[in-house]
Amino acid sequence: MVIPTFNENSAVLRSTLTDVVNSGYSAVVVDDGSTTPAQECLHGLPTHCLRHAVNLGQGAALRTGCELALSKGACVIVHFDADGQHDPALIERLIAPIIRGDADVALGSRFLNPSDRLGVPLTKRLLLRAGIFVSWIFTGVWLSDAHNGLRAMSRKAAGQIRLEENGFAHATEILDLLRRSRLPWVEVPVAIHYSEYSRGKGQSVFNAFNIVIDLMLRRLFH
Amino acid sequence: MTSIQGILIACFVVAAILGSIAFRTRLACRLLAVLLCLAAVIFILFPDLTTAIARLLGVGRGTDLVLYVALVAGIHAILLLYRRTRDLERKITGQIRAMALRDAQHKQQ
Repeated sequence: MVIPTFNENSAVLRSTLTDVVNSGYSAVVVDDGSTTPAQECLHGLPTHCLRHAVNLGQGAALRTGCELALSKGACVIVHFDADGQHDPALIERLIAPIIRGDADVALGSRFLNPSDRLGVPLTKRLLLRAGIFVSWIFTGVWLSDAHNGLRAMSRKAAGQIRLEENGFAHATEILDLLRRSRLPWVEVPVAIHYSEYSRGKGQSVFNAFNIVIDLMLRRLFH
Repeated sequence: MTSIQGILIACFVVAAILGSIAFRTRLACRLLAVLLCLAAVIFILFPDLTTAIARLLGVGRGTDLVLYVALVAGIHAILLLYRRTRDLERKITGQIRAMALRDAQHKQQ
């Protein structure tokens, strides 16, 4: 389980990690140059903690964590958010298709179950609709959700999907790499808990513009 | 010579000197910088020259031609700089990642 974190509230981070560890998963925490090292609030928890010397972005943190996980021999790698919006109980269902060998990549989606969909705030829902469209334009992959932080991949897929986008554009880049790798993938319904806290930490509308520009430039220079 | 010509020529002479210092280690870039400044000075001294070239290309006035060329050159420069920034970012990312992974290995031992 790879968990990127940047200036996360220490109590929230600790409770997220406690849940993950208690559910029996091994966790790689990637502290992306937080002002106070994340490690300080993780004392006593059996996690691998990595730290970027400067802030690089979520995409870069995920890749660093992924490389450590691969070097430790992980069979399945899960991207998991640190802000408490994901429930470790979802992991079992998420990785099931990978364990069964039906797919190499499983992407979480908030829009497959009507009840999950209603949990997403309305403005966020509209923004994500646009995100789905943008992702489709850039990658040719049509999903029911965009930029969902919860995903899982097999060891094989993790070896092929190497993120180069340091920022949030990685979520679209993953789809691009996924299509090129021709690996089988599935979408799995997941519910996301939007707390006051995680909403504050999430991406803003402005960031959406940044992501689109990053993606265009990426097209230009690759 | 009008005063604007004097001012512009002075600016380009300074640019040539600065450019030649900045590209001290790269002869080709240094030559290019100096030659471009030289061309600019010639066009400033003989403005009719740009108009003649503009007419040849189907542009009405010499100043318009200069504007178009400057615009294209400016966009080009921005894109080149952007690519270098990205390259740099990629290298830094690689270094910081390697550092983070190495530190993690150390801690385990």
